[in-house]
Amino acid sequence: MTPLERAWRGGRSDWRLHVLSIFSVAVAFVCMAAALLVVVNVESLRDAWARSGRASVYLKPGASHEAAAEIEQALRATPKVKTVRFVSSEASRTEVLADRSDAVLSALPSEAFPASIEVSLEDDVSQVRVRQIADSLSALPAVESVETYQSWTERLGSLLGAGATASALLAAVVLAAVVSVVASTIRLTLQRRRIEVEVLKLVGATDQYVRRPFIIEGAVQGAVGSLLAVLLVGALFLIVQGRFAAELGTLIGVTPRFLPWQVAVAMVASGGLLGAIAAHASLRNLLSV
Amino acid sequence: MLRQGDRFDPDAARRPLLVFEDVHKAYRADSPVLRGLNLTIERGEFVFFTGPSGAGKSTLLRLLYAAESADSGRILFMGRDVARLRPESVPYLRRNIGIVFQDFKLIDNWTVWQNIALPLEVLGVAHRLVRQRIGEVLERVGLGGRGADVAGNLSGGEQQRVAVARAIVCEPALILADEPTGNLDPQLAVDILGLFEDINETGITVLFATHDRSLLDVRPHRVVVLDDGKAMDAPNGLGDSELVSLQVA
Repeated sequence: MTPLERAWRGGRSDWRLHVLSIFSVAVAFVCMAAALLVVVNVESLRDAWARSGRASVYLKPGASHEAAAEIEQALRATPKVKTVRFVSSEASRTEVLADRSDAVLSALPSEAFPASIEVSLEDDVSQVRVRQIADSLSALPAVESVETYQSWTERLGSLLGAGATASALLAAVVLAAVVSVVASTIRLTLQRRRIEVEVLKLVGATDQYVRRPFIIEGAVQGAVGSLLAVLLVGALFLIVQGRFAAELGTLIGVTPRFLPWQVAVAMVASGGLLGAIAAHASLRNLLSV
Repeated sequence: MLRQGDRFDPDAARRPLLVFEDVHKAYRADSPVLRGLNLTIERGEFVFFTGPSGAGKSTLLRLLYAAESADSGRILFMGRDVARLRPESVPYLRRNIGIVFQDFKLIDNWTVWQNIALPLEVLGVAHRLVRQRIGEVLERVGLGGRGADVAGNLSGGEQQRVAVARAIVCEPALILADEPTGNLDPQLAVDILGLFEDINETGITVLFATHDRSLLDVRPHRVVVLDDGKAMDAPNGLGDSELVSLQVA
């Protein structure tokens, strides 16, 4: 009888215990998968914004059309500038209030919607070059301010760093939880199969022979638990995406995406590995007959 | 079959199966269980070990299958010193020994077949041979056709027969029976004793530990009496007046 067959036989007799263990492992991995999902999406948002190369040049309230046209012309002649579009104060108000019947927004004065020149830059433009263009524009008398969204990219970058740290901490917690849950389950399983183990040792089974099915059971608990977690988070992601994808796309400019398949596979593999290690560790010193 | 590296020794078959040389064992310093035991058991013998509870019968058997180690002395099984075996060699020793316990040590929710197959699975015997071998031993212990029964549903006598079948299924050189009739009524105890005698008839050495004096009177076998750390040998049973001291002076 192969170790797999023996593990299956043992797993069948203690299936309730295994289901509980798999559930606990899945809960731990759901936390981890959710954290990773946030990190992945913040990262893609940061990348998208960093690559977008956009700038909004807000004009002073009294800025003349001529001044605006001159700035527009100068920008068109600037290398790395892709498109330039003038948005008047009225057009800006219309854009903001489109599809909204918000009384408060409608009551805002025209100063709340300054005229602007929307600039889009080439994808390969560096942040330094964007900064240079912004500084040159800010020095012009007709310009109130220039928004390059670089600060947002930086904020997202630091948020991403914090997210990565939180995920690493969470990974440590998940690791401890999985090891603890699987090790406890295997110890309990071993207690329930004490006679089987004792008889195996008495008829000449080596420690390795006795351990193998328990290690397989531990690995299966870890792998199945993490797989369930990935599937559960995937299902939740699909539900959220189905309902809010359009809104999120409009709001932040990127479509949310699920964990890359490599990350999902790595999670399942690490679940299995952790389970096997936990089972192996829990069996040390417990096989003496 | 000789494995690579083994040397053929023509005298090996003529050596005693088991030799205890000045074996000492104590769990507490002030009350030793065995005090310099010397004993030789030949191949094919049937030996009763008897004595009051705590006399060291089980300890003696546990020393043999290396569940415990002697404080000093040598225990030679087929010429190898059991007391000096490395832990990784112990499983290979046990594959030559069948062990039967008072509490049967069966896996209750498994079938008779699965319980008996366990030692063969450990040895990696092919499924076809396992089936054939289990069929044979079930017939031998009087449980022919009962392989599919769940072990926990059998009577005490039947469970002990399953335990005996499991002990002999690999055709070991030695059977250790530690109070195998302790949980059985007198008639069943005699039946089980008969089963061990049948097994002994096939050439397997049997060491039968019991404190039940009535069993010793049923048939004349060699009896080793353990008491207070000392051992006395009655080569022809307790009916024989000549008790030989096995103790080192």
